[in-house]
Amino acid sequence: MVNYGGDEVAATVIDIGTATLRAGYAGDDTPKAVIPTYYGYTTTEGSNGDGDVTMGEAEGENAPPKSASKVNMFVGNYGPSVWRHGMEITHPVKNSMIEDFAAIPALITHAFRDVMRCEISDHPVLVTEPAWNTTANRERMAEIMFEEFNVPAFYIANTGVLNAFAAGKGSALVIDIGRSTASVTPVVDGFVLRKGLTHSGLPQLVEANAQHILTNPGANRPGIQLLPHQLISSKQAVEPGAAPRFTLREDRATGTTDTWRNWYESREVEDWVQSVGGVLDQGWNEQAAVTRGARHYEFPTGYNYYFGPERFNIGEQFFTHSASLASKNQNLPLPLPTLISTSLAACDQDLRQVLVGNVVLTGGGSLFSGLSDRLANELQRNFPHVKIHAPGNPSERRFGAWLGGSILASLGSFQQLWVSKEEWQEHGKAIISQRSPSPAL
Amino acid sequence: MAGPSASDVRAALSLGEPSSSTPPHASATPLARKPSLRKPEGMPRELYQLIGPSAPTLIEQFAKPQLKQKPNLGSGGGAGQDGNAVAGSSKVKWEWRTFKNGARSDGLKLSHWVKADTDPNADYPFAKYNISTNSYVYSQDEYTRLLEDKEWTKEETDYLFELAREYDGRFYVIGDRYDFPNGSHRSLEDLKDRYYSVCRKLIRNRPWGGDEASKNQLLSSFQFDKDREVTRKQYVASLMNRTPEQIAEEESLYIELKRLEQRERRFKKDRDELLRTMLGIESGLADIPDEDGLSASASNNNLSISLSTSGLSIDTSNKKRKKGNGDVETPISATPSSSSVIQLSQPQKKQQSAKSAAYDAAQCIVRTDVPSNASSNKSAHTPVTLRSFKIPFIKSSNQQKVTQLLAELKISNQRLVMPTRDNLAKLEGLMEAANALIDTKKLVDKVEMDLNVARARLGMAVEGGEADAAPAGGSASASGAGGQAGVETQTPGAMDVDEDAEGEQEDPVDASGRGQSVVSTRSTRSRKQARRSMSISSVDTAATGAGNKKRKR
Repeated sequence: MVNYGGDEVAATVIDIGTATLRAGYAGDDTPKAVIPTYYGYTTTEGSNGDGDVTMGEAEGENAPPKSASKVNMFVGNYGPSVWRHGMEITHPVKNSMIEDFAAIPALITHAFRDVMRCEISDHPVLVTEPAWNTTANRERMAEIMFEEFNVPAFYIANTGVLNAFAAGKGSALVIDIGRSTASVTPVVDGFVLRKGLTHSGLPQLVEANAQHILTNPGANRPGIQLLPHQLISSKQAVEPGAAPRFTLREDRATGTTDTWRNWYESREVEDWVQSVGGVLDQGWNEQAAVTRGARHYEFPTGYNYYFGPERFNIGEQFFTHSASLASKNQNLPLPLPTLISTSLAACDQDLRQVLVGNVVLTGGGSLFSGLSDRLANELQRNFPHVKIHAPGNPSERRFGAWLGGSILASLGSFQQLWVSKEEWQEHGKAIISQRSPSPAL
Repeated sequence: MAGPSASDVRAALSLGEPSSSTPPHASATPLARKPSLRKPEGMPRELYQLIGPSAPTLIEQFAKPQLKQKPNLGSGGGAGQDGNAVAGSSKVKWEWRTFKNGARSDGLKLSHWVKADTDPNADYPFAKYNISTNSYVYSQDEYTRLLEDKEWTKEETDYLFELAREYDGRFYVIGDRYDFPNGSHRSLEDLKDRYYSVCRKLIRNRPWGGDEASKNQLLSSFQFDKDREVTRKQYVASLMNRTPEQIAEEESLYIELKRLEQRERRFKKDRDELLRTMLGIESGLADIPDEDGLSASASNNNLSISLSTSGLSIDTSNKKRKKGNGDVETPISATPSSSSVIQLSQPQKKQQSAKSAAYDAAQCIVRTDVPSNASSNKSAHTPVTLRSFKIPFIKSSNQQKVTQLLAELKISNQRLVMPTRDNLAKLEGLMEAANALIDTKKLVDKVEMDLNVARARLGMAVEGGEADAAPAGGSASASGAGGQAGVETQTPGAMDVDEDAEGEQEDPVDASGRGQSVVSTRSTRSRKQARRSMSISSVDTAATGAGNKKRKR
């Protein structure tokens, strides 16, 4: 194995995204712990009846901003998704950037202690960051790791670079479509070119658009109620397109908070998008959309319907914005082709050919049905020699950055790059930027 | 070393070697039996291989089926019950050990799995990859002496060199990160230009330990031409910014050009082919010189009874012509028909120095030049031959008669006593003359015959008076048809005196049955004549010939 340059030192990798936090051992091919970054909290006394609920982390420092005498946090896979009386949902990551560091220790602790069942202070930790992360943010992360978790060594690496590494490339144009942000990152020799870095909140627009399509009456159907299944006590099977027959749980009518409901509704929408949504590979064409056939989907209320051409409308938002939408909204997030061409235009002439020949498509959002084909077609129209690397294995795309981190942290030649606790104590925050060059603007 | 290999993993798990998973009997029996496996005397080897006991399939077939071997896990069970533990595989102990990384400046102790028997004080194996490029550093003194530049301050130059060191000279990254406070905008070329020029100056002005060559080599590695680079980038940009219409236009122009070239090539090929068919392969057309290779290819011909193609070369001189496959023309193989050309042009001699020419003459050396285009391919190569192999043979239809004629003269054309060059040339001349004589004789005979027939008919007409006018007209039309056929068989472009003679000859009215035979002989002759005429004929014939051919396609 010396040939592969690997040397495992039991390092761990943490990749914090908008939707999920991924954590696991370096050298593995998938993260051991994948937990939602969203978490619920109650400011009243939480009911302790549920056995599988993760509780605790109510220390004052970690408490959410709401000032309360006693705060219960619910994190993990059985945290926000379980209905609790008066539970609010929030999340610390906005636009791929950690905005609320208070909850981060709780999330990491949950991932390590409750899912991986290991002690984080035993392991060197590699944490990922988006390319547009600020210096203050990365230093805060280092501080949390060294001061709170007492890790022996720490390193912070760029998701764009790690995605390129996961694809086995040193230079690549990384197109990362996550839950909230789509970004295009040119990576050359393992360095991000910050001038060519572009990102936009495109996936949020896609989701909002999908929600708009669902809740508003369509051609042959009424608007759809997005009620979470936790609020429904019983339902009856109905014909496709017929009005749903269900009864709500009256006992939960009062305790449901708006944030929890919104979060679950967006989950519904996400679910629907992932099940029926798609994009045509040759651009929008009503005829082609009709010929692709309808797809069936049933909502928690029991309402079910065959979604026809409208399901292809969802994916179209990734590539073009309709004129009406654009006129109404001045600062729409840039669509993918614009992001890519802007990014390439900012790069050196000589690099464009290299980058276009090494396009890496990654991120959970890129698993959207038909997206990679459409993207390939769009790119081929503009660049003759484009080559897209899009792993067929879904977990390689969902955990691309984590996988890259896993590879990096298990390399023998990487072991000299760790920022050790000793160095942290000696040099302070400056060592972080010095050791892992930041493309931060 | 640092990581486990497949055999290490096997060893750690106490699994046997891969081969040990096969049933022990199967592997043991052939080994045991091996000494007795000797081929019995007198049995053919092939047969023994078929039926002999060595056939491995038999053993596998009759071996008792066995369950998969139990993996030998755990440290205690070194030898299994059936004693099939692999001999020689000793347990390797691994341990989780902290190590010190030499590439690190601090005392961070990380741990990894290593074999217990490795040296705990050994260097970390990956520390050796911690290499950094040596970058140039300059002192304040050197800067003021050598590196002053009105565009750059020392601070900014320092900043540039710091970046170059940090990013190991990756200029794309340096250009991306370059952000000197209050500095003007620097393009990638500006940065490269400054960096490389500073390096060059430092190399040039510092004492150099090695030799000049290595210094120059080092200098050339720091060569950078900013203007050229900028122009190149602009060109690349203009290439990239082409609109689809421009690209399409360029494509179509390119295709058009290719098509024109192809047409030109085909045209030339066709004409060459045509000329060769008309002049005959023995005419040496393959050596038709192109305008720039005139002397070279003329020298090819200087031994042949020089078929000077100067006339042809003039008409083709405005077109570049690819040479044919370079049939080496031997003097004797020149056809009789080509002799008529000799008078028309001067044989071209290769320029030789007077001295060497004199020497050659004295020593009876005749130099045959290798064709200039004689490549290494086999077909172009003429091996050494005896002159007697080059005795000409009669190639015309009246071969029999020529042989007869030669026999009358008591000359054997099969074997010459002394087949020297001159003799062969003379023999050929003789054959040619004989051929011509026979041709003439034939012609004379026929004309006489025709005359006789005509005379006889005239007599009959005088006798029969006007009553016979109608049948005579019928036969005349028949002969007319025959004449037409005769004309058609002629190759196009053959315009010669002979043709006129033949035309005259056709005029006489002929009996239709006879006319047929006349046509057949005439057709062969006319082809030959056309060949002969070709050399005389001017450009027009060639052009029309090629044109005809082309139209046919």
